Amino acid sequence: MGGAQRNARKQKQKQTQAAKAVAAARGSNNDRAKVIVGIVVVVVLAGAVIGGVLYQKQKATQRAEASIPPRTVAAANYPVKVDDGTVLAGKDDAKVTVDLYEDFLCPVCGQFEKRDGTKIEQQLEAGAIKVRYHMINLLDDRSDPPGYSSSAASAAMCAADGGKFPSYHLSLYDAQPQEGGRGYDETQLAGLGKALGASGDFENCVRGGKYKDQVAKQFATAQGNPALQQDNGQGGKSFGTPTVAVNGKLVKWSDPNWLDNVVKTGAAG
Amino acid sequence: MASVSPRLLDAIGTLVRLGLAVVWLVAGGIKAADLNQNYLAVKAYKVLPDGWVSPVAAAQPFLELALGVLLLVGVGVRAVAVLSAVLLLLFIAGVAQSWARGLTIDCGCFGGGGQVASDQTQYPQEIARDIGFLALAGWLAVRPRSWLSVDGWLHGGRPELADDHGGSGEPGAAHGRQPGDDGGGSEPKPAPPASAQEGR
Repeated sequence: MGGAQRNARKQKQKQTQAAKAVAAARGSNNDRAKVIVGIVVVVVLAGAVIGGVLYQKQKATQRAEASIPPRTVAAANYPVKVDDGTVLAGKDDAKVTVDLYEDFLCPVCGQFEKRDGTKIEQQLEAGAIKVRYHMINLLDDRSDPPGYSSSAASAAMCAADGGKFPSYHLSLYDAQPQEGGRGYDETQLAGLGKALGASGDFENCVRGGKYKDQVAKQFATAQGNPALQQDNGQGGKSFGTPTVAVNGKLVKWSDPNWLDNVVKTGAAG
Repeated sequence: MASVSPRLLDAIGTLVRLGLAVVWLVAGGIKAADLNQNYLAVKAYKVLPDGWVSPVAAAQPFLELALGVLLLVGVGVRAVAVLSAVLLLLFIAGVAQSWARGLTIDCGCFGGGGQVASDQTQYPQEIARDIGFLALAGWLAVRPRSWLSVDGWLHGGRPELADDHGGSGEPGAAHGRQPGDDGGGSEPKPAPPASAQEGR
């Protein structure tokens, strides 16, 4: 590099760069950049954390403010009553009793109800079957906050007392909360019964969690019943939801014709 | 050491930085898309008190995304790498304690998570994978220099100066030495000579 050329260039740049370069040589420029970078990093990370928490809070608030859309079962002219920790539905002269084990948070139960709910209602209405609903709290710890399974099951039994069980049951599955998300709280569960016209002491029954103990007891009984264990798809046997049984024998509900077969044969088949 | 070309190290650093960025962006993105699932995944570790599961599960995906973005653009690479390493160590600890306690869960590292059958746990693989990511973070914590980073741009297109100075723990790097080169001059040199210093 030619000395003259270099000096000339230096001269030109000196004016603008001198201060900066001196500062750089002392490290202050570098320090300032570091401070800026540090601030950016802290702001971005803190923003992400706070933003995530606020976003989730806001979503939960939105869900808390929503009401559960009431759905009505058109024809439900069969008796429904709370019976020993379960809800027993169906006409007295029906020959077969189907035991149905469900959790209101269980997604497969939701699919099961979507596929077969109407058919079950039709058979109840026709007097071909009775259904004993065991509403259990298997997934209590899978809602945020935990406990939706218990609250919903207890509320559904309150709805049976209030004369609106079929519609209440349908409505809850129709607007089923997601696992890991917020379930419905007791205000929302009470609101649904009110919208459906549940009678009597419905609201206090829901808010007091009147049937929660019985729900937990049903779950424990079902879980301890060897006849209700089935392959869990994970190499073992366990109790899961939904489970369908007739006379204490498991029904393979994955067969879409299971209900017709039960009606025809009067047995689990 | 001196035989390793600094350009090669910069190239590796760039790949490492972008690689770790992608890891965080993918992991955080999948989780952010299904926050309910992440709640279940976090809960399954059975480590946090009840009240903490929800906020941690909500914040974690966005923290991962933020780390990914910062690495992608190359802001504060060393600090972000150290934080990444801390987070990865927490993840490894979480998986290890599940393993040790006999829980049967999926780590939920890239979505999923929660309970699995006892023969479907993959604790060794999960820990090995996290250790691999930890190695990436470790590289960047030790040698944050790479191409195409805001850190470099902030220092006037001379990432070498910036990170050498604060970075590789080389005494007398960059500014310390250059004025001497220039005969007590007041002007830092352009890039190539500076980067040669990286040759250690």
